Amino acid sequence: MTSLSAPKERLNRRVEIHQVSTHTVPPFTTPPTTRKRKAALAASPTPTTATQSRSRSRAATATESSSASPDTKPVRKRQKKTKAQLPGSGAESDLDTPKSEKEVLELPVEERLKATDLVTPASTTMESDDDFMSIASSADDFLGTQGSDDESLGEDFGDDFDGGFSKDKDIFSNEQKPYEVDFKVLTPEDIEREQNLQVNEVSSILGLPPESSAILLRFGRWNREKLIESYMDHPDKTLEEAGLGTNFDTTPKTEVVPGFMCDICCEDGDDLQTYAMRCGHRFCVDCYRHYLEQKIREEGEAARIQCPGNDCHMIVDSKTLNLLVTDDLKDRYRTLLMRTYVDDKENLKWCPAPNCEYAVDCHVKQRELQRIVPTVQCGCKHCFCFGCTLNDHQPAPCKLVKMWLQKCEDDSETANWISANTKECPRCHSTIEKNGGCNHMTCRKCKHEFCWMCMGLWSEHGTSWYNCNRFEEKSGSEARSEQARSRASLERYLHYYNRYANHEQSAKLDKDLYLKTEKKMTSLQSSSGLSWIEVQFLDTASQALQQCRQTLKWTYAFAYYLARNNLTEIFEDNQKDLEMAVENLSEMFDNPVAELARLKVDILDKTAYCNKRRVILLSDTAENLKNGVWQFNVEW
Amino acid sequence: MTFAQRKQWRKDHPFAFYAKPHRTAQGVLDMKRWECGIPGKKGTIWEGGLFKLDVHFPDEYPTKPPKCKFVPALFHPNVYPSGTVCLSILNEDEAWKPAITIKQILLGIQDLLDDPNPESPAQAEAYNMFKKDRVAYEKRVKQVVKENPAI
Repeated sequence: MTSLSAPKERLNRRVEIHQVSTHTVPPFTTPPTTRKRKAALAASPTPTTATQSRSRSRAATATESSSASPDTKPVRKRQKKTKAQLPGSGAESDLDTPKSEKEVLELPVEERLKATDLVTPASTTMESDDDFMSIASSADDFLGTQGSDDESLGEDFGDDFDGGFSKDKDIFSNEQKPYEVDFKVLTPEDIEREQNLQVNEVSSILGLPPESSAILLRFGRWNREKLIESYMDHPDKTLEEAGLGTNFDTTPKTEVVPGFMCDICCEDGDDLQTYAMRCGHRFCVDCYRHYLEQKIREEGEAARIQCPGNDCHMIVDSKTLNLLVTDDLKDRYRTLLMRTYVDDKENLKWCPAPNCEYAVDCHVKQRELQRIVPTVQCGCKHCFCFGCTLNDHQPAPCKLVKMWLQKCEDDSETANWISANTKECPRCHSTIEKNGGCNHMTCRKCKHEFCWMCMGLWSEHGTSWYNCNRFEEKSGSEARSEQARSRASLERYLHYYNRYANHEQSAKLDKDLYLKTEKKMTSLQSSSGLSWIEVQFLDTASQALQQCRQTLKWTYAFAYYLARNNLTEIFEDNQKDLEMAVENLSEMFDNPVAELARLKVDILDKTAYCNKRRVILLSDTAENLKNGVWQFNVEW
Repeated sequence: MTFAQRKQWRKDHPFAFYAKPHRTAQGVLDMKRWECGIPGKKGTIWEGGLFKLDVHFPDEYPTKPPKCKFVPALFHPNVYPSGTVCLSILNEDEAWKPAITIKQILLGIQDLLDDPNPESPAQAEAYNMFKKDRVAYEKRVKQVVKENPAI
């Protein structure tokens, strides 16, 4: 979804991969697609026919879905067209075509041809029109289908073996899962373009100069419809409030005015250059410039710089600015303006990664965060939550994440520990931790003697020394049950926290692992004679590992807030499966380099399995969240 | 504050006001610190008083407003216990503009004396009295005027 040229690159890469590795094909456990394909192969007399018929049905589905639900979002429209374009059958005629299909058309002709007669079996079973298959995944299958045309099933596995190679990229990320959201990454240029587009649009609708429209839009927080409406109703009032006068036809220029004295510096002189905006407040150019510089450089102000005149709310427009300030300040001004554009719009957020200049466009609203965890990936590869801009925290919703982090951070758990592990002296209320010894306690402070078990007076224990049998006694029972509750709650928290922290820790270690992996890959290349592309499986595996750990970590925070029912059983099973898969894969990494080459298939297999488990867990959780069927033990 | 601005003040300033740069112990004029005097307006309970105000111009002046402080601190709802005046035109996040002159500032503060802004109280004593017991408030102001007579 990030960029439409990516599939093309992937396609090219896929072709390479295919060429290098079809010959090194050990048998491989079949992932779901293969099973389906096998079934399809078995059902049809010749594989070729099967493929063709499938592609036709696919094309039909595509057309239906795209005509059935006209979508307003430009991104998705584009994707869908791309999808519909692929099956080069008669279905095309229904579609309004190709202007936006540049991506497809740019493909080398032969590849386009290849791409046309393919379709993943999985895609025929898709129902949602979001589940589009990009060129890449189709191409993936294309390789497979071609192999099966005239070769054995073993060869078919070989292609899947390739598929496993970058499974997470091709098969798993191109159709939309329940936990995925639509988003678009914007570069600084995109943002500026988008901004200018809106400015020009409003400018032509309202018949105002672009710089005035820009001020109006910023004033209206980029809510175009509302702005146009309010301008149409009360043009003068709107202009006034936005800090614009009504007189637009002046081109700004500096002037020398005889007998002028600057109100700011009180300088006068016959050759003093001065400037005034439409409001007529005239100051010397030096003061004006100094003022703008200070505002832009020191205060980071851009969209709302007012005239320096007393009690004047006229906003300094970009023409004035360009006239008065130096070039480096103009750049800064543009950056700041862009920032206000992103800050003002609810559907735009900056990528929080350090030094990243991209913004992400996503239409998930704040109020939808109860039902959706909108994870997005920036062009810089940083995965973050669009709702709260924290790192990816699937499957836990933002609010629970916040509560969990707060809980882990504050001292409430210390207090909990104290109440679970200590008791108070019944007389002086000093806090006592029992660290060994018998139940006969003597308070160090007040010398009070009591029984640790029942908290009653030791003297009343009579002959039952060191063996409290007074457990049923009423007086101590309340204190005891309170203690038990608190202990149980602490244990519960620690259960989840330990697992959460463990995955967090492991994820950190996995990062080190990733760096080591790179070394391993190089040494594997030299020791086993494998090519660069053939050792990439380690990289893929390591990335899968990190991603799965990230997910696992948050499943524990999520589970902490879940009220137990049948759904949580399923959730925990999924969690367990993913955890086992991850630990298995993690273990394989500890093997010496020499072993890794031998384990390649196994690692690929386990990587694919991990990713699959992750998708299953996240999909299931997201569906339930969307449908509001989870029950929580807290209000949020 | 520049010499040109000082010149401007000398050329044109309201009656009974004064404003001059602070002279340090070494006898050097410090243009960043001005000593000013604001008279109470005629026909108000502040009439007859002259209140001493320290005006400190920051390095960023005139982009940033000067800091105005009554010395000693003044009994007034919008004057902090430190003597600092709370006024919108003196707040860079509110109405401060570089074109606001020392004359406008001093006149603004003079207006504030008899027309306090109950929306932004700065000291509890004067504010509470102003809100709850206007008679006691006025009596107290007259006392303050007596302590700071215009000569």
